Amino acid sequence: MDQIPFQEFLFMLPEGFLLVAGMILLLTSSAGRGVSSRTATLFSLMALAATAVMVHWVAGEAPDEPILAGMFVLDGYAVYWKYLLLLATALTAVLSTRFLEEAGYRAGEFFSLLLTATTGMLLMAGGHNLLSIWISLELMALSSYILAGYFKQETRSNEAALKYFILGALSSGIMLYGISLLYGATGSLGLTEIAAGMPAAAATAPTLAAIGWLMLAIGLFFKVSAVPFHIWTPDVYVGAPTPVTAFLAVGSKAASFAILVRIFYEALPHFALEWQVVTAAVAAVTMIWGNVAALTQNNVKRMLAYSSIGHAGYILMGVLAMSEDGLWAVLFYMVAYALITLGVFGTVILLERKEYAGETYEDYAGLARRAPYLAAMMLIFMLALTGLPPTGGFFGKVYLFAAALEAGWTWVAVVGVLTSALSLYYYLGIVVQMYFKESDDSTPSPRPAGGLVAVISLCAIVTVLLGIFPDSLVEFARASLLPLP
Amino acid sequence: MFDWIHQVPILSIVTYLPLVGALAIIFLMKKENGDGIRKFATIVVFVDLLVSLPLWFEFDRAGELFQFRESASWIPSIGVRYEFGIDGIALLLVMLTTLLGVIAFLSSWSAIKTREKEYYVFMLLLQTGMLGVFMAMDFFLFYVFWEVMLVPMYFLIGIWGGARKLYAAIKFFLYTLVGSVLMLLGILALYFYNSTGLLGIEGLGNPKTFSITQFHDIGASIPADMQFWIFLAFFVGFAIKVPMFPFHTWLPDAHVEAPTAGSVILAGVLLKMGTYGFVRFSLPILPQGTHDLLPWMVGLSLIGIVYGALCAMAQKDMKKLVAYSSVSHLGFVMLGIFALNATGLNGGILQMINHGLSTGALFLLVGVIYERRHTRMIAEYGGLSSKMPLFATIFLIITMSSIGLPTLNGFVGEFMILVGAFNHTWWWALVGASGIVLGAAYMLWMFQRVFFGPMTNPENENLEDLNKRELLYLMPIVVLCFWIGLYPKPFLAVLEKPVDYIVRKVDANYDANVVALPAPASSAEAAD
Repeated sequence: MDQIPFQEFLFMLPEGFLLVAGMILLLTSSAGRGVSSRTATLFSLMALAATAVMVHWVAGEAPDEPILAGMFVLDGYAVYWKYLLLLATALTAVLSTRFLEEAGYRAGEFFSLLLTATTGMLLMAGGHNLLSIWISLELMALSSYILAGYFKQETRSNEAALKYFILGALSSGIMLYGISLLYGATGSLGLTEIAAGMPAAAATAPTLAAIGWLMLAIGLFFKVSAVPFHIWTPDVYVGAPTPVTAFLAVGSKAASFAILVRIFYEALPHFALEWQVVTAAVAAVTMIWGNVAALTQNNVKRMLAYSSIGHAGYILMGVLAMSEDGLWAVLFYMVAYALITLGVFGTVILLERKEYAGETYEDYAGLARRAPYLAAMMLIFMLALTGLPPTGGFFGKVYLFAAALEAGWTWVAVVGVLTSALSLYYYLGIVVQMYFKESDDSTPSPRPAGGLVAVISLCAIVTVLLGIFPDSLVEFARASLLPLP
Repeated sequence: MFDWIHQVPILSIVTYLPLVGALAIIFLMKKENGDGIRKFATIVVFVDLLVSLPLWFEFDRAGELFQFRESASWIPSIGVRYEFGIDGIALLLVMLTTLLGVIAFLSSWSAIKTREKEYYVFMLLLQTGMLGVFMAMDFFLFYVFWEVMLVPMYFLIGIWGGARKLYAAIKFFLYTLVGSVLMLLGILALYFYNSTGLLGIEGLGNPKTFSITQFHDIGASIPADMQFWIFLAFFVGFAIKVPMFPFHTWLPDAHVEAPTAGSVILAGVLLKMGTYGFVRFSLPILPQGTHDLLPWMVGLSLIGIVYGALCAMAQKDMKKLVAYSSVSHLGFVMLGIFALNATGLNGGILQMINHGLSTGALFLLVGVIYERRHTRMIAEYGGLSSKMPLFATIFLIITMSSIGLPTLNGFVGEFMILVGAFNHTWWWALVGASGIVLGAAYMLWMFQRVFFGPMTNPENENLEDLNKRELLYLMPIVVLCFWIGLYPKPFLAVLEKPVDYIVRKVDANYDANVVALPAPASSAEAAD
C-alpha cells in the first residue's frame, strides 16, 4: 500500500481533538470529587465550538475525494452532518447541566461520554469504508449505552441501558454479518469499491450479495428505529435520563441517517430498485405504527419516542426518493427535527422532578397559566412536529412529501400526509392540557433555569424562522448533496 | 380620493394589521387589563375595516382581473412567491371578512369574560389568516394561510366554547387538517406537472411555480385522469371546509360549542373558504375533472340542501338549528357554482356573501339571548316579542333574509342559483327549491315558538331589549341585507369579469347567450 501522506491525518484533527477533550474531562473528573456540572458543560461547549471551527477549516482544505486510503471522506455532505451533530451535542450539553446537578450524579464522566459519542458520530458522517463506519458506529453506540444507564440508582435507567445494549449489540452483529457477506461478495469494504464490484458479484453470487445488503439495511433500520426494528426505542427513551433521550433522538438518529444514506447512495446503487421497495414498505409501516402507537401513550417521553419513530418514517420517505430533491429534503428536515426535538425535551426537563415525576400529560395541565412563555414555546414545537406552518417542520414535511410524489411514490406520500394529520391528535393532547385544563396542587411547576430557557427559546425561534425563510438552510443543504447513484 | 392605496402594498397592510395588533397585545399589554385589550383589539379591527374600505371604491370594475397586485420573491428554491391580488370575488369576501371582524369583536365585549388577552390575540390572528387566504395568488402561500388559520380557531372553540368544547375543537381541527393535507398533495402534483412532470407523465417544462394564474392557464392541458385525481384531492380539502354532505358532521359540533363570535366568523367567513376554493381552483384549473365529477358534486349539494334542512327542522337548540341551516345554504352555494353558467356562479358567490351576513346575524342574535338567559333551547322561550320588540324585529328581518324573501338579500342569491341550475338541468332547480320551502318552515317555526304565543316561562319576564352596542353591530348587517335585496347591481358588477373568466375556463365554448349549457362529451357519456 502506498504511504499515506502525513497531512491527510491532519484532516482528522476535529475528531482527534474532541476525543482528547473527552479524555481530559474523564481524567480530571476521576480525580477527587470531580468537576462540577457547570464547569463540565462549559468545557464541553468550548471543545465543541473549537471542533466546529476545525471542521470548518478542514472542510476548506481537504479534497472531495476519500482520504486516508479511502477510509474517510470530507465532502460537503459529511461537513453538513458534522455541523448538525456538533450543534445537537452542544444543545444537549446545556440541557444536561442542571439535570445532573439535581440528580446528584457525577458530571465529568457524563460529559466525557457525550463527547466520545459525538466523536463517533462525526466519524460516521465522514466514513467511507464499511469498517471505519462500523467502528465509528460502535464508538457512538457504546458511549450511548452507558449514557442511557447513567442514573445507576434508577431502575428504569438500568432497564433502558440493558435493553439498549442487548438490542443494540444484536443489531450491530447483524450489520457486521451483512458487511462480512458484502466483503465476501465483492472482496472489498470501501464504498466505492463495493459499488464497482457489485454488478459482477450480483451476477455470480446473487444470494450472497442480496442477503448481505439486506442484513446491512436491517442493522441501519435498527439504528434509525424504523418499524419493525424499533422495539428498543420506547423503553430506552423513557428510561434514559431525559437529556440522553434527547441526544439519542437527535444525535444518534441523525448520524445513523447520515450513514444509511451514504451507504445506499455510494455502495449499493446496484440494488437501488430493491432498496427503494424495501424502504417504501418500511417507511409506510413506520409512519403508521409510530403514529398510531403514539396515540395511546400517557407518558410524554414515551409519546415522543413513538413520535420519533414516526418521524424516522417521514425521513425515510425522502431517502427512498433517491433524487436531489429527496436528499436535500432529508438534510433540511433533519435540522428542523433536531431543533424541535431538543426544544421539546428541554421543556420536558424543566417540568421533571426526581424519580421521573412530571412526565405524564396531566403534569402539563394549566401550564399556559403558570408559565405562559414556556407553554407558548411548547405550542410552537407541537405545531412544528405536526407539520403546521409557519414552522420549519411544515417546510420539512412539504419537501419530503414533494420528493416522494415527484419520484412516483404517491402511495407513500398519501400515507405520510394522513399519518401526519393523525399525529395532530396526540401532539394536541399536550396543548389541551396546557391551555384548556386547570392545574391542581399536584401539578409540578416548571423551575426555569437560564441555560435551559435559552436553549428552548433558541430552538423555538429558529424553528419559526425556518418556517418563514426556509431558503437560507435549503441553499446550504443543496450545496451538501451526495452525487446521485 | 383614495389614490394613495395604489402607492402602498394595501393588501398586505389589510392582512397584517391584525397580526401587528396581536403582537402588540402579546408584548405590550398586561393580561389583567382586559378592558384595555378589548378596546384596543376592537380599534385594530375597526381601523382594518377602514383601511380595507378604499378597496371597494378603487377597484376598477372594467380593469384587470386581479388588482392591487403585490409580488415578491419568497422561497426561490422551490419557486414559491409572495403574491397577493384580488379579483371581484376576493374583493367581496375580503370586505365581508373585515366587516364581520368588527362585528364579531364588538359582540365579544360582554360574552368573553375570561382570559381576554389570549382571546383577542387568537381572534386577531384568525383575521390575518382568513384575509391572507382570500388574497393569496400563489397556491403555496394560500395553503400556508389556510393551515395557519386552523390554530386560532381551534383555541377559540377549545377555550371559550361550550360544554363539549374539547371534542368539538379537536374534531374541527382533525377534519380540516386531513382535508388540507390531501389538498397539499394535489397542489404538489399540479406543481410537478407544470414543471418537471411526475408519475411518468411528462411535465410542461415551465419554470417551477405555484402561481395560480399559471395553473389556470395550463388547466386545459392536464390529462383527464390526472385532473380526476387532483380534483378529488382538492375536493376533500374544500368539501370538508364547506362543508358538503357527508363531510359536514364537524360543523354542528363546532358551531354549537364555539363562542358567539367564533360561530359568526366560522359561519360567516370560514365556510366560504371552501366554496371559494372550488371557485378559485377546482373549476378553472381542472375543467375536465369538474365535468367528470359534476354529477357527484351536484348530487351531494342537493342532498346537503334537503338533508341540512330536515335536520334543522328537528333541532331543539337554536344554535344547532342555525348550524344545520348552514349545511343547507352552503348546498345552495355549491349548486350555483356547479351549474357552471354565469347566472348560477354569480348567484352562488352572492349567496356566499348573503349567507355570511344572515347566518352571522342569526348567531349574533342567538348569542344576545343566550347571554341573557344562558340557554338556547327553543322550548325555554315563547312570547318574547312583547318584552323585546326591537330584538324581535331584527330577528324577523334576518329570518326573512335567510329564507329568501323578496326585497332581502337571500332572495336575489337563491333566485339566481335556481335559474342557473334550471338552465343546466331542470330538476336540479326543483330539488333545490324544495330546500327553500323547508327553510321557510324551520325558520318560521322557530320564530313562532320563540317570539309568539303567551309567555309561559317566568324567567323570561325581565329580559332586556337590545342595548346600544348590540344595535350598533346588528345594524350594518340589516342595512346590507336590504341593500343587496333591493339593489344588488353594485355587487354583481364586481363579479361580472371574474365569473365570466371562470365559466370560460371551465368550458371554452361557453356562450352566455345560449340558455342551456351544451354538455361536453365526457359528461354526456357519464349521463348515459
